[in-house]
Amino acid sequence: MKQVGFYQGCCFQGPDAHMFDMLKKVFADLGVDIKLVERTTCCGGNTIDEANKFLVYSINARNIALAEAEGLDLLVSCNTCYMVLAKTKHALDNDPQLREEINKLLAEEGLEYKGTAKIWHILPYLVEEVGVDTIRKKVKRPLKGWKVATYYGCHIKYPKEVAVVDSENPSGLEELVEALGAEPVKDYEGKDACCGYHAYYTNKPVALKKVVRAPEGAKKAGAEMLVTPCPLCFKAQDIYQDMVENAPRVPSVYLPELLAYALGYDPKEAGLAYHIIPVDKVTVNAPASS
Amino acid sequence: MAEKAVLRIYRYNPEVDQNPFYREYEVPLDEVQTLLDALFFVQERLDPTLSFRFFCRAAVCGSCAVKVNGVSRLACKTRFRDLVEASGGRPITVEPLNFLKPVKDLVVDHDAAFENLKTLKTWCEPKEPIPEREYRIPPEEVKKYERPTNCILCFACYGNCEAVMDDPKYAGPFAFSRVYRYAVDSRVKDEHKREMVKNALEAGDVWSCVQCQKCIYVCPKGVRPAEDIQNVRGIAAEMGFRDYPGVRKLQHFVDWVYATGQINRLALPEEVYGVDPTPLINKFREKGAEVWEVPKPLPGLLEFRDLILEVMKEKKPHLDIDFHHVRRIDKRVEEVFKADVCTRITEKFEEQKSDFFSRFWKKLGEFFGAS
Ligand code: SF4
Ligand code: SF4
Ligand code: FES
Repeated sequence: MKQVGFYQGCCFQGPDAHMFDMLKKVFADLGVDIKLVERTTCCGGNTIDEANKFLVYSINARNIALAEAEGLDLLVSCNTCYMVLAKTKHALDNDPQLREEINKLLAEEGLEYKGTAKIWHILPYLVEEVGVDTIRKKVKRPLKGWKVATYYGCHIKYPKEVAVVDSENPSGLEELVEALGAEPVKDYEGKDACCGYHAYYTNKPVALKKVVRAPEGAKKAGAEMLVTPCPLCFKAQDIYQDMVENAPRVPSVYLPELLAYALGYDPKEAGLAYHIIPVDKVTVNAPASS
Repeated sequence: MAEKAVLRIYRYNPEVDQNPFYREYEVPLDEVQTLLDALFFVQERLDPTLSFRFFCRAAVCGSCAVKVNGVSRLACKTRFRDLVEASGGRPITVEPLNFLKPVKDLVVDHDAAFENLKTLKTWCEPKEPIPEREYRIPPEEVKKYERPTNCILCFACYGNCEAVMDDPKYAGPFAFSRVYRYAVDSRVKDEHKREMVKNALEAGDVWSCVQCQKCIYVCPKGVRPAEDIQNVRGIAAEMGFRDYPGVRKLQHFVDWVYATGQINRLALPEEVYGVDPTPLINKFREKGAEVWEVPKPLPGLLEFRDLILEVMKEKKPHLDIDFHHVRRIDKRVEEVFKADVCTRITEKFEEQKSDFFSRFWKKLGEFFGAS
């Protein structure tokens, strides 16, 4: 089985602790052992940058160095964590002085940032490394007739130097949605709009205006749900959408959850049972055939 | 036959047209280099009534920014062939920049955005005494603001900004790059820096930025407004402008990450807005989800804490760790996990201890000849 280092960040805490087990199982089913890189910490959430950018570079150089020490690449399951780690890699790979300064600090713990580990986001990892065909073959519960709007989120599209998809014409999600037997809805108003997540604790009224934009557009285009490869976009569309009066209440699904369900997991195992905005397409006893 | 591409251009003359409309024009690829050339081709050969703005034709003056298939670009810096390739045979839609008053066709009125910028007072009011000869600026300082200095005020970032979209007061990405640029300039006097930063907070609404990073993506001059904004926010906190949700969020991040290696999403509502998260937690519990109210302390936490302190000693942060808060977090962690943050170390010790005893008993057994 292929092995890749896994960076967990702060995504699998609170009510989302189960997600890590789900991810681990889904990837194992697809032939990938995701090995948690121990001792890695929060990336700073693109927020600690406000206090001290150098600190963000240091903690993420440490995160990457921990994977490198085990000879592993680093797989990241969140758009923002991915962007912050990738920006750090970009900065250190292009600024030898910065790298040296940081390596001096890491030496204390016996670590060194070498720049050898690739930082993967789950979307390109699933498309390029696992392969859409492999996924298609593993589907036990085709999502026949589901109309799923694809929502990429910002931090894998912008800025350009860390983008994992074509920023203006992203792809990958549609192919995956199709492979699961569902029908992707790609073009809708608000597909490129911000999900609002990062503004919730800086300017709530602005955030709540953003939260409904993609769900509204998706609904108008005939989609029954949104799928996103980012657990933060998912949280915004699930928890914060519930706080907006007259919200369209379009359910949002985190990409690995959709995979899990199509691979035959029950809704609890897949995490789909725990959404604030219920995913009504999901039925407990939906047939799974092998 | 020459290769051609279709431009679908927004047309609107408020003096005659009731509503804006689109008109399509065919442009031969081998007669034009840039999108600006293509607009000239339309104006000179097909439709002299088309209006657009330009001046330098070399990405210097900033007047030719338009919206192309939804994204702000300088017409003179955009290779036409690239657009044609990216659009895969579909017409290329050219429109005026978003969020600025349309004047005619592709021409917009920048005045409102300029006025907003002026209220921030982003200029140099020099420290006294003013030196008799030139200022000497060390290269490290120039490095801090050489990027924002490249801004040509083209408003491309403004036209794609998520904050401008939902907050009419928001001064715009470029405006805060300027605030940052003068806030770290050693020639500017402190009172003026303070005034600028205060303006950025109050008149400019700098906390409305959602950090989408689109401004960095569209800027034709390599300015990175989203990152400059992070700095302005930090500098504001350092100057003592702390009564903002965003500063409480930042304090949460700094303290929790130091204390546990992670943030605590369930403590954020309380710490930022004073809102009890229990109803939300209950919603999840009712659905049968297991909820951890405090993140598990991570292995390697003590080394991680050392690193943070070490870094902060070298580069002073805009916002310090609040160690009273850290103590309270430590206490929460102790209550929930019935152990302090050194648990892992204790665990390791216990392992070694049991390992030691098992070896000890084995040896003893061997000594007495037992199996
Ligand atoms: S990162 Fe902020 S300033 Fe830049 S485009 Fe997004 S909202 Fe606007
Ligand atoms: S920051 Fe860049 S995009 Fe924005 S006005 Fe300046 S040059 Fe134009
Ligand atoms: S014409 Fe001056 S920037 Fe394009």
